[in-house]
Amino acid sequence: MIYSDIALSAVFVSVVLDLFLLKSRMMTRGIFWLTYFLILPFQLLTNWWLTSNKIVMYSDTEIIGQRLAGAPIEDLLFGFSMILLTISAWEFFKARSLNESN
Amino acid sequence: MEHLHYSYVLIFVAICAVGVNFGFKLRFSKKLKLFLFTDALILVVYLIWDFWAVSKGSWFFDPDQILGVMLLGKLPIEEVLFFIIVPMMSILTYLALTKLTGWGKAKEDSSDLL
Repeated sequence: MIYSDIALSAVFVSVVLDLFLLKSRMMTRGIFWLTYFLILPFQLLTNWWLTSNKIVMYSDTEIIGQRLAGAPIEDLLFGFSMILLTISAWEFFKARSLNESN
Repeated sequence: MEHLHYSYVLIFVAICAVGVNFGFKLRFSKKLKLFLFTDALILVVYLIWDFWAVSKGSWFFDPDQILGVMLLGKLPIEEVLFFIIVPMMSILTYLALTKLTGWGKAKEDSSDLL
């Protein structure tokens, strides 16, 4: 499995966790998408810095080759999966800590 | 200074995080325990992925542009910090937007898409 496969799988895992296991269902809420689309340009900015300066480099055989702001397009999938899982887990643990204190 | 090239990203995001936290009065320091749980999950998932990818050569780092402190001899310490600072910034963005828009106060909010 190359980066492309793993990145796609990561999105799938985050979506399944969000909708069915953590049950935060952030994907169905406007506030999540607003948050994601505000973070996205900053991801592109940091991606551009890290890749254009060759701080991080990618093996040609691990990516499909399409790039955005210097970074492999796969990075968008990675970023989305991490932002979704972060906010989903946050809401999951927040709900649990509230229940425990009640 | 070249060794700080990756760190500049972390410093930039950290400055944004401090600015958003105080600018929106989010009192993130009161929510550190919640963040600890959240980020523990993120660190486990993404550091395993990162470590595996670096081991098989999916991506690699310019040794001249990182601090040179490596986790398990392979992962730059910057990667570990990245998976702490970026999720923190994501949460702060989420909290700031929640406060700003008033959306998402409850799951039943009419602003929900579904």
